[in-house]
Amino acid sequence: MAQRIPPPAGPPPAVEVEHLTVSYGPVPALLDVSFQIPPGQLVGVIGPNGSGKSTLIKAILGFRRPDLGSVRLFGEPAERARGRVAYVPQRGSVDWDFPITVREVALMGRYGHVPWWRDLGSDDRRLADEALEMVRMSELRDRQIGQLSGGQQQRVFMARAMAQGADILLLDEPLAGVDAATERAILDVLERTRASGRTLLVVHHDLATAAEYFDTLILLKQRMYAIGPPASVLHPQLLSEVYEGKLRVFADMRTRADKGGG
Amino acid sequence: MGTHLWELLILPLTEQAFQKALIGGSLVAIVCGVIGCFVILRRMAFLGDALAHAMLAGVTGGYLFMQILFGSEAHAPAMLLGSIIAGLVTVGLIGFVSRVSRIKDDTAIGIMYTAIFAVGGVLASLFSHRIHIDLYHFVTGMVLGVEDHDLWMMAGVAVVVLAVVILLFRHLQITTFDPVMAASLGIPVVALNYLLTICTSLVVVSAVSIVGVILVVGLLVTPAATAYLLCDRLSRMICLSSLFGVTSVLGGLYLSTWIGNVATGPSIVIVSSLQFLVVLGLAPRYGLLADQLRRRGRVPQPLLEDILGCFRHETGAVLDVGTIGQRVGAGGDQVQRGLRVLERQDLAKVAGQRVTLTAEGQREALRLLRAHRLWEAYLKQVGTPVDQLHARAHQLEHIHDEQTVDYLDDQLGHPLRDPHGSVIPEDFEHLVPGAEVKASLLREGHRGTIVALGETLRDTPLRVGQVIRVGPRRKEGRQWTFWLPDGSEVVLDHAASDAMTVKLPADLPAGGSSSAQAT
Repeated sequence: MAQRIPPPAGPPPAVEVEHLTVSYGPVPALLDVSFQIPPGQLVGVIGPNGSGKSTLIKAILGFRRPDLGSVRLFGEPAERARGRVAYVPQRGSVDWDFPITVREVALMGRYGHVPWWRDLGSDDRRLADEALEMVRMSELRDRQIGQLSGGQQQRVFMARAMAQGADILLLDEPLAGVDAATERAILDVLERTRASGRTLLVVHHDLATAAEYFDTLILLKQRMYAIGPPASVLHPQLLSEVYEGKLRVFADMRTRADKGGG
Repeated sequence: MGTHLWELLILPLTEQAFQKALIGGSLVAIVCGVIGCFVILRRMAFLGDALAHAMLAGVTGGYLFMQILFGSEAHAPAMLLGSIIAGLVTVGLIGFVSRVSRIKDDTAIGIMYTAIFAVGGVLASLFSHRIHIDLYHFVTGMVLGVEDHDLWMMAGVAVVVLAVVILLFRHLQITTFDPVMAASLGIPVVALNYLLTICTSLVVVSAVSIVGVILVVGLLVTPAATAYLLCDRLSRMICLSSLFGVTSVLGGLYLSTWIGNVATGPSIVIVSSLQFLVVLGLAPRYGLLADQLRRRGRVPQPLLEDILGCFRHETGAVLDVGTIGQRVGAGGDQVQRGLRVLERQDLAKVAGQRVTLTAEGQREALRLLRAHRLWEAYLKQVGTPVDQLHARAHQLEHIHDEQTVDYLDDQLGHPLRDPHGSVIPEDFEHLVPGAEVKASLLREGHRGTIVALGETLRDTPLRVGQVIRVGPRRKEGRQWTFWLPDGSEVVLDHAASDAMTVKLPADLPAGGSSSAQAT
């Protein structure tokens, strides 16, 4: 008797990338990248400059049509799951002098849910306020965004992503160029977001802290070099291969990875 | 007086040309204000200028097209359509050049709009015998010659542009503020950009008859920039910007009527520029005066630290304001302001003339003292003459972040005293009850449980779990002594002490040298 194969148990992965190849001209930015991220994880994407981290984010957002391969979000093609992904921009790419208040930015998260001929409703306002509450920015809601500290600015955009009702958050270098206290504040928000069941994909530049901050790391340089718990991804041999010996923090990192693993 | 005012303000209103100019000018100013907000937030001011210039080609093209093919003179809709087409062609060419070559946007704009403008100029002069309108007015504007069909055109443009902005406000806001997010929501960003460009062309076309090609950017950008200095919300900025546009037109019209023989376009732009300058000076938050006042009100950090430093010899002391003023060498006004800031930060208490530090303030003073004395020790080590130690350290103590101080402390081998023999306060940032610290940070009298030992300490009698007591430093502070429970003594150097981690008890007793009295 042929055994019937049972349907796969459990929910589909939050992000499922299969054989993704994206190119700008003859050199691919991403080559044959495949991975799956289950829901509710805090994932760091690491790799040297120009390793295709931003391209990966763009492909997941559906901006870059892949030359080959597919991106599926909760089992659906990326184009169809648009509202379920939110993008948190790099701090440097925002015009902080723009005449807009904290609350208005959070409300932007609701724009995708309201057709253009209708006004935002009280539900939308409530959701935006709740999102601000969650990142502890309610008190500053009427401030213009340029009058916030670095960590507060990051939190506003996190609130916007949450007001969007997105289950997947893509963050581009949220920890670049912030001081230690801000970094802790942002990490706290990331943790709380993850705890609320959302999946976070974070582009991160600092290998020394990657092990502490993330459940799972993706090591990228055009190709996928590794995905898994930090202790296995931050393997010195793997890193020296990817970074071609341009790294001086190996020793330090090894001890951290050992601590994390042991 | 009454009749005088009447003549100045009301009399012009009775003239039909003035009325038409006022209505047309206000319509134009409102849409200019609205679109101008998007133009400045998207940094498209130069593009607005380009669109205005491209209009010349569009107007002559449209005129000639209708005149040659259908024999109709000055066909307004054709000229309007021609202007919009010319505008779009210019924008398309600019985008093309900056996309396919290394030429950047601003240069591409410069090349393309002058080229299109020149084409218009050539056409106009080639066919000057066929064109029976005064193109000069396109260059300088002639608001008092506004005719009925101009008014209809302006009203039409206003209706279209306002409808677009009101209906698509959210879309325009988000594509301007965060195009990436807009795209991720499925908003057609490129189409909206074109829509906004078309609106800008329409607005420019209708504004040209008021202020002329050359000054159109003034009406488009200046009121919006004025509003930008006053607003923190785009919706308010748009309303205010329209208002400033209307007041510019109103002011400009009166100005040119009063002075007489002054072109209206320039006087409108002069009024709007004056408005801008006034707001630039006086705006409550983003104005120059406010900025200056803020800067004056701000108390420099070194002064605050110097005030705290007055308490360094006895952190619990009560000092009077005058003494503090003498010691920090600053004016009474400055000291008062500094004290107010310290009070706000909950570091000091001021009662009349008597100043005391709060617990937090005492801690801060101790931190500064520690930084100061570590800097002195460091300066001595790097060969600074003894008589300069204090002054240099006084400058350097303002660098006192935790990492710097920790680094100095470690480099110097956790010294107990500074070069003058004064005690350096212990590392109270790390030495808190229940913390795990390197044994090298400990001082005489401390107690703790060993929680980790490095390889190098394997051959010593030290074991994890032992409770040890810290004895005095020896050899000028370079040797640490630790007493084991059985009373035996272990002597370690800096590196060996670093290899031992000790957990401090929950009720941390004061270390032998934790009081920071100067000796």
